[in-house]
Amino acid sequence: MVSATTGVPVNFEGIEKSFGAVRVLEELSLKVAPGEFLVLLGASGSGKTTALRILAGLETASSGRVLIGGRDVTDILPKYRDVSMVFQSYALYPHKTVAENIGFPLKVRKVPTAERDVAVKEAASQVQIDMLLDRYPRQLSGGQRQRVALARAMVRRPSVFLMDEPLSNLDAKLRGHMRAELKHMQSTLGTTTIYVTHDQIEAMTLAHRVAILEKGVLQQLDTPAKIYNDPANLFVAQFIGSPPMNVVHGSLEASAFKTTGASVSLPVSGSIAKAILGVRPEDCAVVAPSKGNIRGEIYAVELIGDHTLVTVKTGADMLTVKASKEFSGAIGENIGISVVKDRLFVFDAATGARVR
Amino acid sequence: MSDTAFRFDKAERSLMERLFEPPAVGRMSPVAKVVAYSLLVFWAIFVIFPIYWVVITAFKDAAAVNQGPFYIPFVDFQPNLDAWRVHISSDPYCDVYAIGRQFVLYAYNSVAFILSPVVSIQPMEPQICKLYLAFSNSLVIGIAATALCVTIGSMAAYALARVQYKPKFGNVVVFVVLTLLMIVATSYAGIPWYFSAAVALALFFLLARAFGKHFKASLSNGDILFWMISQRILPPIVVIIPVYMMFQSVGLLDTHLGLIIIYAVANLPIVVWLMHDFFASLPIELEESAQLDGCTRFGIFWEIVLPLTRPGLAATTLLTLILNWNEYLFAVFLSTSKAQTMPIMVAAKNAGEKGILWWEMCAVIVVMIIPVIIMAIILQRFISKGVLMGAVKG
Amino acid sequence: MAVANETYQPGTTPAGLAFRESWAEWFDRHSRTFFIAPAVTLILIFAIFPTFYSIVFALSRVRFSATGLRFRFVWFDNFLAQFSGNEQTHFLGRTTEIGIFGAIFALACLIAALWWLYKSYRNGATWVGMTGRVISAAMFVFVAFLLGATLLSGNPWGTLLTTLFYVIVGCTLQFIIGTALAFLCSQPIAGKSFFRVLFFIPLMITPLGVGYAFKMVLDITKGPLQPLWDYVGLQNWAWSTDAWAARWFVILGDSWQWIPFIFIVMLAALETVPKDHVEAAQVDGASSIQIFREITWPQIVPVAVTVILIRMIEAFKIVDLPNIMTSGGPGIATESMTLHSYFLWRANDMGSSAAVAYLLLILTVVVCASFFNYVVLGQLRKVK
Repeated sequence: MVSATTGVPVNFEGIEKSFGAVRVLEELSLKVAPGEFLVLLGASGSGKTTALRILAGLETASSGRVLIGGRDVTDILPKYRDVSMVFQSYALYPHKTVAENIGFPLKVRKVPTAERDVAVKEAASQVQIDMLLDRYPRQLSGGQRQRVALARAMVRRPSVFLMDEPLSNLDAKLRGHMRAELKHMQSTLGTTTIYVTHDQIEAMTLAHRVAILEKGVLQQLDTPAKIYNDPANLFVAQFIGSPPMNVVHGSLEASAFKTTGASVSLPVSGSIAKAILGVRPEDCAVVAPSKGNIRGEIYAVELIGDHTLVTVKTGADMLTVKASKEFSGAIGENIGISVVKDRLFVFDAATGARVR
Repeated sequence: MSDTAFRFDKAERSLMERLFEPPAVGRMSPVAKVVAYSLLVFWAIFVIFPIYWVVITAFKDAAAVNQGPFYIPFVDFQPNLDAWRVHISSDPYCDVYAIGRQFVLYAYNSVAFILSPVVSIQPMEPQICKLYLAFSNSLVIGIAATALCVTIGSMAAYALARVQYKPKFGNVVVFVVLTLLMIVATSYAGIPWYFSAAVALALFFLLARAFGKHFKASLSNGDILFWMISQRILPPIVVIIPVYMMFQSVGLLDTHLGLIIIYAVANLPIVVWLMHDFFASLPIELEESAQLDGCTRFGIFWEIVLPLTRPGLAATTLLTLILNWNEYLFAVFLSTSKAQTMPIMVAAKNAGEKGILWWEMCAVIVVMIIPVIIMAIILQRFISKGVLMGAVKG
Repeated sequence: MAVANETYQPGTTPAGLAFRESWAEWFDRHSRTFFIAPAVTLILIFAIFPTFYSIVFALSRVRFSATGLRFRFVWFDNFLAQFSGNEQTHFLGRTTEIGIFGAIFALACLIAALWWLYKSYRNGATWVGMTGRVISAAMFVFVAFLLGATLLSGNPWGTLLTTLFYVIVGCTLQFIIGTALAFLCSQPIAGKSFFRVLFFIPLMITPLGVGYAFKMVLDITKGPLQPLWDYVGLQNWAWSTDAWAARWFVILGDSWQWIPFIFIVMLAALETVPKDHVEAAQVDGASSIQIFREITWPQIVPVAVTVILIRMIEAFKIVDLPNIMTSGGPGIATESMTLHSYFLWRANDMGSSAAVAYLLLILTVVVCASFFNYVVLGQLRKVK
């Protein structure tokens, strides 16, 4: 077993990046603790990959500093940053065997052949591909290629692992499996890891902390649980969770949220003309029309297996409710929804900011 | 819908339909087949015949050539090796080891040339028959020029595909003006060329440093690429006289080095054009990954990029080699005896007093085209695999 | 950097590289220059510099002397000699009496060119575009007048029109035949790969060899076609003394060599047309000629125009074939501009030689740039 290394901290200090007139990153400041697994989460075009590439040295920031292990690396070539990267396409060299691929970073560093062979075997056995060392990448399955890419990234013990959507080219089943392995490997090695993805499940399951980016702006940086239970704004609230959080448009008046035909009292004060009420599907329950906080009619009923998703139309909004698997109801039937009072979130419709 | 559209039975078709309609999708009708095959066979004969005629002429003697056409060996005329004897056995230096000796001589003379600033070694005079001399010259010049051209050209093409260059437009203007001034000074004022070239070069670096910053307009990679490729438009005859004069003043006339350089330059546009396309189509992640792993730019080029473009590189090399092997115009201006290539030897057979010695000439042509035909067959494979297609699609 | 090095602790071996600049380091840092410098230097010294140097030759009377070359600046005398001086018949042809057909043709071309310029002006061309169009149109009208004054008025023409004849007639013929052969070879026929290899070979044979081979094959008395010449009663005829026959035979040799180029590129292009497009048309009941015209051709037009452009660029340089087959004769009937320049050089008239070479460069650039701008770019834009 490979011994664990002590990770190094990584700091982004006010990183900005624009391509011509397009601003891709705005004032990104992040502190990654030593040995932390940080996930950069965002939709495509959110700037997450750019942030990763700036850290790797493949792009240069328009302004700001990047520090790895307390050392300013902003203007330093990638090879001096002591980082390794797993690419979405794996970037395996097609003309080299698996062993040559894994050993390449060591070969470049002129590590003696004997030493190199030992390191390659060790890395290969760590990701369970020892029997594939003589094959070429084109002879491997997607999952095996993924493992080779991981082995190549860790063989030289970098201070920081960078991963750019490494699992997105795998099928769903394999992805789940690799996710678990990745998490285990990272905690064994203890290497600081920065992982870019657009998949919220990956982010929630893998990360110590998740940084959510949107349009180049950091929305929230927190542990997965905090992000789920205490979203900073409407974007984060809707981005995380499946099915996504329900939103109801209305207004906030004297600690009560008012919408057409319903009123919910809330533990928040203040009044906003245009507010949004957010509630997760599992915090709702289907009740008789007279009992619910919100009323509407059934739009669709989907049996998932262990539960049923009931879509309810109320006013202009659609709400999804997670009901028991025994639930039955006809489309068009009138129905009431009750919500858990302390699991409600209110947002300012104009800015998306959370109202506390 | 008319009912003729639904006749499934073959027997119902008229004779005309059977002749002109294909029997199945993806097949040809009988008439089309006859027309197509006769056209193809006609063209095949048209292509083969001149080559065939050259080959049989190489085995004729003077009588068989001059007494009208004879077509089929052993039937019409008795083939013999007269033409080959002229080239090989009647020449005292033509034995099996001659080519081997010649390459030793090349090595010796190259060392002598390299060491010439330090010690003076007399270069060896060739002791070899003309055919071998021309053949080995063509081989050495062709291979060396191809190696030089493909190396330099693919390096430039790779850099243009991956690195951003921004030469200042002002510096280009300064360069052009200084070059013109240098030429005028050399030719009209009689200043020695090395002096004016040195002054112009020094002035250029000085002015580029001093004024370069003040120019806003700059050129892009696309401009440089276009500039390099467009050199192919330049007719060789435009540069050949000045190149002759340049070579004369530095002693490169009738040397291998001179021809190697000029052949390499003439084919650079093709190499840059074809290779740029291959490099641009490679996934950039491979190079980025190698960069993170600590590879230098040159290491990436050598270890990752070149092996990945191997088919394209091979096709480009082969094409360049064939072009160099066949080149005539530069050779006729720039080589007289020692660096004479095969085409010059062919043309020399035209200069006899007794008219053209066709049989002797054809023997040389046969020697010349055999390697080319082999290369052409290999190259054709690459082309039919689409290896060279990307560039043409524009 | 030393301070940073102390605070920074890379992982256990083998990890980050030590941070110091060795010579290899310096080399890598400047690799962008080293990659491109050799190619740029070679082109500057052996292509750009000689091109400029050529101007001096073209503007001078050059004489050999004991100390080397002596240049005497004569302004544009060498060029003027080609256009109006004693070299005029050689370069342009005899233009003394202009016939009625020639005059009508030239005027028609002038009007067409003016109308084209007017239309582009109305369509809002930029001043750069307008300048280019004026140059193209001027060249076109000049060539039209020349054609009217020589060929259409029964006068012999000079090397300028001979070169254009090789380029325009040769390229057209080669393109049509090459594409037709490629189309045939893309059909389901047996022995496809054999024909492919065979048809490709002439391209790779030295132009010199092609010239001699055709000179031999086309020989009236000793060539293989002698029975044919006898049969049609031409045994005493010599095509090398007939201007038009000589020109066409040069084109024949040139086509033998270059049709393979068009063929191979067009065949590769034909095979990249998606199969399902063709299959869809087959299901719809289209014949293979209809499929070619309606489905395949529109998709390969960009390749076709590009390949014509490449062929044109090379065709302007034609020299080996006329030199070998006819030595430019009879008279100057088959002399291309490169050959014209070569003969002048051999006669030690380096100034005129350079001038003719320069005129060839101008002609090539204007024709090829016009074709590129008005045809190739248009087709490429249509696709993208």
